[in-house]
Order: sequence, then structure tokens, then C-alpha cells
Amino acid sequence: MNFTIRAARQDDCKDISRMIMELAIYEKMPDQVKISHEELERDGFSSNPFFECLVAEVHEEDKTKDGHTVVGYALYFYTYSTWKGRSVFMEDLYVMPEFRGKGIGKGLMSKVAKEGKEKQCARLQLTVLDWNTPSLDFYVAKGAHDLTANEGWHFLRFDEEAMANLAKDAP
Amino acid sequence: MDFTIRAATLEDCKDIARMILELAEYEKVSDQVKITQRDLEQDGFSKNPFFHGIIAEVPEQHRTKEGHSKVGYALYFFSYSSWKGRAVYMEDLYVMPEFRGKGIGKALMSKVAQLGLAAGCTQLNFAVLDWNKASLDFYMSQGCFDVTADLGYHCMRCEGEQLERLAQP
Repeated sequence: MNFTIRAARQDDCKDISRMIMELAIYEKMPDQVKISHEELERDGFSSNPFFECLVAEVHEEDKTKDGHTVVGYALYFYTYSTWKGRSVFMEDLYVMPEFRGKGIGKGLMSKVAKEGKEKQCARLQLTVLDWNTPSLDFYVAKGAHDLTANEGWHFLRFDEEAMANLAKDAP
Repeated sequence: MDFTIRAATLEDCKDIARMILELAEYEKVSDQVKITQRDLEQDGFSKNPFFHGIIAEVPEQHRTKEGHSKVGYALYFFSYSSWKGRAVYMEDLYVMPEFRGKGIGKALMSKVAQLGLAAGCTQLNFAVLDWNKASLDFYMSQGCFDVTADLGYHCMRCEGEQLERLAQP
């Protein structure tokens, strides 16, 4: 099956939002999704965007029964390591279930890596849920290593309320 | 002890580079640091910077015996959650050992939170090594939760040769 990987446009945000929800359902946390296509349009397509996005598109004749031709996406942004410098973080990688096994996920991830290399990034990072064996296997097969298991790194977070509490003491 | 918290400038990069190395030594990985003062100047102070810095400074009379008055820093950048929107990531938080216990670390982190909220962020994220109990305790006492322990998220990384190979079509 033919597919193309291209940079997302502002008018792709409805499809990206749809697929973000599909991914959240897969990750068993659909109630956690609080943003819609409007935030994506605002935050991804300004002069200093918060993220970049690639979409995977198939031809009309291969569209889903609901009429979608945009069948996968990768959302990423640039980060910084004070040890190694510029890095790229892949926040989401998703391919609709009926389009898996055709190289679309690999195509999207390779393009993110290529964009990162062009910006002289030394690393590509992402997170995976520990029960998500198919994804863990996919990433390890692509050369990723598990920093949490191997080096003991934990992600910590202040959510909105905790962040507001912390901010009120700022000098 | 008085201290000020302010945005980092280009001139601070020498001290930031010094403190990055001190933090790496504490984390037992100083041979991993490849970045230089010049990289920080280029990457943090261009038109679309990769990061922002905050510095903690003490008055002249409290400077270290080597003459340093810049005694702590926080380095952060904006990130994105596809579920929650704009977020801020605190890459480093460091206070020189002799200046700890005076509220400087808390003040630096609060400032990152304040700047993040002002930019419309709803999360402040960062990473800690699991053996670093002193830091884990400090952060938990400030109200954060452990995304890895509680939700099961693992961080994965591709670099070097693996990254080169991945970037091929």
C-alpha cells in the first residue's frame, strides 16, 4: 500500500486530534485528553511553535470506512540536554490499527530522526508505558534503549494545581 | 542570606557551564558532558532558543572562595503534551552545596513554574535518578508526583549510530 509522510498543515489538526484520542484510548487514559484541534492549531502553527507534526496519508482508494486518508502521525519538539546539547522528543507516534505492519510507523519515526539530525540533534527521546510490550519491542528494534530500566531515570510532574501552588512562592 | 533570582544572560554562560559540570559530578557522570560555554551561548540566546535559564546570585560579601557569586541555576524549555497542551520541562536545577538549605532551590523552581504558567503551561515536568533520594524527597515535598512509578512511563533514547541508522529512509 502506498503512503506519503509529510509535514502537517493547520487543516490537519482535526485528524490529529481524532488520532490523539484513539492513542489515548489505546493507552487506557481517554479521560486525560483535555485539548482539542483548536489548541493544536494555535500552538503548532505560529512563528515559534510549541511542537511540529508529521502525518501519514494514504490514497483515496485506501481510505477508512469513515473516509479518513490521514492514518498516522508523529508529534515532536526540540529539547535540550545540558550534557549533549540539542535533542528531539517524540511526544506521540501513532498509526491506525488497520494500517499497521506496512512501514508507516517506521517511516514517521525515521522522518522525525532525520529532521532532528538536520538541526544537529544528538538524541531522539520518547516515553512508553511499561505494559506496552509491542511498542517497547518496536522502539528497541529501532535502536532505542530504556533509560528508566537501565539508568534509573524517573519522570516527575507538577500538574496544574501543584504548579500553581509552587508558582505563588516565586520571587 | 540574601539572594536574587533573575533571567540568565549571555554573560552567564561561563558560570552555567561550570555549574553543569558540578551537577554532572554529583550525578557521577561528568565524562558525559560534551557541551561547552559556546554551545550554551549559541543555543540559548538566538532567535528561537532551545532553552531558557534562571540564575541565583548572592551579594559580593557571600561569594565563594574562588570568587563566584552565581551559585545556582535552573535551565528549562517549553514542551507539549498532546493531552494537556503547553508544558514546561525543567532540564536542570542546581545549587552549589555550600548554599543549600536557604530556599534557593525552591525559589529557582518556583520561578520556572511562574514563567511556565505565564506562558499558558499546565504541567512542569523533569527527571530525577532513582537513587537520588535527597532530590526525590525535595521534589515530592513540593507537590509533584512520580509519573514513572505511578503511571509506568519509561524514558527511551536513540543516539549515536542507532540514531544515524534510524534517520535513513
